[in-house]
Amino acid sequence: MIQTPPSGPGAVPLLFQAEGLTKQYEVTTVLDRVGFEVPHNKIVSFVGENGAGKSTLFNILSGVVQADAGTMLLHGRPYHPTGYGPAAASGVTRVFQEQSLVGNVPVYENLLLGHDHRFARAGQFIDRKAMIAAAEALVEAAGIDVDVRRRTADYDFSKRQSIEIARACLAPLHLGGIAHPLVLLDEPTSALDRRDEEAFFTLIAKLKLVGSLLFVSHRLTEVLAVSDIIYVLKDGELVERLTPAEADENLLHSLMVGRTRAADYYHERRQRDVADAPIALKVAGLSNHGAYEDIDLEIHAGEVIGIGGLLDSGKSALGKGIAGVDPVTAGTVALGGRSAVRPDIGRFVRQGLGYVPAERLTEGMIAPFSLAWNLSLASGADLFTNAFGLWRRKREVETAARYIKELAIRSGRPEVICTRLSGGNQQKVVLARWLCRDPKVLVLDNPTRGVDAGAKEEIYRLIRNLTDLGVAILLITDELLELVGLSNRILIMQYGRIVAEIAAPADDKPGEREIVAWMLPQGTSDALESYTAAVGLAGHAH
Amino acid sequence: MTATVDAPPASRSKVSLSTAIDKSLWLPIAVVLGLGLFFSFETDSFATIRNFTAVSGQAGTLLIVCLGSTFVILMGSIDLSVGAIVLLVGASSVQLLNHTALGNGILPVAAGLGALLGAINGAIYVFGRIPSFVVTLGSLSVFSGIALQILEGRAIQFTLDGFDEIAIGQLIPRLPNIALCGLVIWALVVFIAQRTRFGRYTYLIGGGETVARTAGIPVRRYKIYAFALSGLLAGVGGILAVARLGAAGPSLGQDLLLNSLAAIVVGGTSLAGGVGGPHRTLIGVLIIAILDNGLNLMGVSQYSQMIVKGGVVIAAVLVSRERTPTAVVK
Repeated sequence: MIQTPPSGPGAVPLLFQAEGLTKQYEVTTVLDRVGFEVPHNKIVSFVGENGAGKSTLFNILSGVVQADAGTMLLHGRPYHPTGYGPAAASGVTRVFQEQSLVGNVPVYENLLLGHDHRFARAGQFIDRKAMIAAAEALVEAAGIDVDVRRRTADYDFSKRQSIEIARACLAPLHLGGIAHPLVLLDEPTSALDRRDEEAFFTLIAKLKLVGSLLFVSHRLTEVLAVSDIIYVLKDGELVERLTPAEADENLLHSLMVGRTRAADYYHERRQRDVADAPIALKVAGLSNHGAYEDIDLEIHAGEVIGIGGLLDSGKSALGKGIAGVDPVTAGTVALGGRSAVRPDIGRFVRQGLGYVPAERLTEGMIAPFSLAWNLSLASGADLFTNAFGLWRRKREVETAARYIKELAIRSGRPEVICTRLSGGNQQKVVLARWLCRDPKVLVLDNPTRGVDAGAKEEIYRLIRNLTDLGVAILLITDELLELVGLSNRILIMQYGRIVAEIAAPADDKPGEREIVAWMLPQGTSDALESYTAAVGLAGHAH
Repeated sequence: MTATVDAPPASRSKVSLSTAIDKSLWLPIAVVLGLGLFFSFETDSFATIRNFTAVSGQAGTLLIVCLGSTFVILMGSIDLSVGAIVLLVGASSVQLLNHTALGNGILPVAAGLGALLGAINGAIYVFGRIPSFVVTLGSLSVFSGIALQILEGRAIQFTLDGFDEIAIGQLIPRLPNIALCGLVIWALVVFIAQRTRFGRYTYLIGGGETVARTAGIPVRRYKIYAFALSGLLAGVGGILAVARLGAAGPSLGQDLLLNSLAAIVVGGTSLAGGVGGPHRTLIGVLIIAILDNGLNLMGVSQYSQMIVKGGVVIAAVLVSRERTPTAVVK
């Protein structure tokens, strides 16, 4: 299926080559015989849905996890890093999705982290001046405006991201003595503001002159503009290898999801007209300093409100605030016709709210416990205990059995330990926890994250079933298609504030481009242009 | 692709919670039997009815105290102050017995005082957001200090005639009442752990505090309940120990800090929380009590016994860690 260009005997050896990379977690295959090539001085992109295996692939390349099978060649030599340290030492560096900077030390220490020994004098004493000079050279080469002596935490998220990118891109070159680095960039631009983004595109253009980059981004325009080769990952398998000239956004997209977007995938025809429905949830002036400010929103019964935004937009924190999981600094939430109060999850659960967190394994479920225990977890105060505080174990098992059947939880039995369930079935258990309470309002934070395509579809259908019953749903999601497809209205957040409200009626859904344009700080397209100008790839920018 | 993801082999999914528990119960029971056999062969006096009565009398206080703090450990916290609560409740009770006309009414008073001390621990832990380790290490010193001031540093006998019957009397022949109390409380507490909301929440909070909080379980309140229960049973253990000994002295409860942790952990309750339970603590207490008694009968010095017991605790944690490789010890 994947054609790779012939690399005959006379050809320059590839910078990096992988073959048959396979990784399994328990019963889930996250990477299935993935093979690809990275020539010198190229930008190679990987696109795919969440859960397609991009991060696992990067984890294997950067030594964070080990593949179960497969080989990797770096500069034609076998490459099997046992950790990120060894990987970096052989010239493979990475910008992680979550920032890995130490906040309370000066910028230069972060930039030179792992290279301290090069500045050691007489064994133990560190040559601070030389370090600062080296760090300043790095920052200048990266084209970012940062004082390396300042504390790292003093800079905002975007600047810190730039620092991290500069470290990954330039430290091997400047300090590690690596002539041809391979840099892995995992969603590097999602947190950058405009000026830093310009600097970023200039930097990768420069870096391309000596090494190669692997790039993962959800922004397909960006991928098309910067890449030389694009690989499409779907459900852990490489399904296509393309050049930007052969591809456009629609093609990439249909390859990623494995089908053209059917209109009924999100059951859009079942979307309800809620103009006359009563208000089920009303948020007024909700703030949590540093995360989100002054949020007002209303959800009608049977309505789905989608919240979109970048990682640092504060949308997940807002979900926790509305549900009352994390304290807020100001504002109120009112459920149904009740009076407006400071959100408190305990009280709200009793009044018919349910909250599904994004981090399933740390916040959503206690995986070492049984299915029944995880299902009954939120109902210990009413459904599953009697007046004397005794647990109603029979009812618990019966309810679990009922939802296993209703939601088609595969290989599920009430007593099965949840670690043995796949991500999709685990998520169904978490949803069943709220369904058994006949909720009025559900706050869902990325309900389909790490869920396979089949279960995803079932969850979408479930959401529509719930809205038919008049449940109001607040859907916080990173997946654009889901956001557009499921929502009646879409709210876009930037830096903790709602910047746009976009109507999304069933017969007139907004386009992804429109949504993305609202999500990005102004001027990203300018940054892309400045990049294409810098590398002379004007032909690729559409 | 999807089909293979969702269909784990049938043989693997057959392992249920109950069989997993049964498997890990084996080891502690084997240790009890092994120790029993070993000491029966090594000493003449171990396997005698007289010694059985003595061991069960000594182990009674330990059992009662451990049962309470098992809940705290099951929640993923730790209570180092149980020994000090025993001392403080014991000291106060002796003074109350001698200077008031409470009589047997001292029992609920002692239990209440213990619960209060435990609730104070819990409240400081929960509202001060201080690790329970630090809170109870601090209160260990505070409670002991107050108790020693009450006792003025010496042992004080109570003067109430017949009060010692509640501990050393034998409703069931050969079984001292204090051990009988321990067994009754054990049955009660096992029921609480397995069948009540408090018990279930204890497991849930220990297994995943964030998950429990995110689902609206009042985590802080139940943590205070657990500490209060731990204090309450320490109070009961304290008054029964005083009744058994006829006095409260500065050394009362001194060995309970290590012994209670040892018994709970050896029984198989994980320090990481969420795994184990009071039903297992009985076995842990048996192991510690037999070990104590057997080593004494063999004439092993007090100092060597300290070494052995410390080693047993560490070994038990190592063994239990193997069973739950993913659990993080807090």
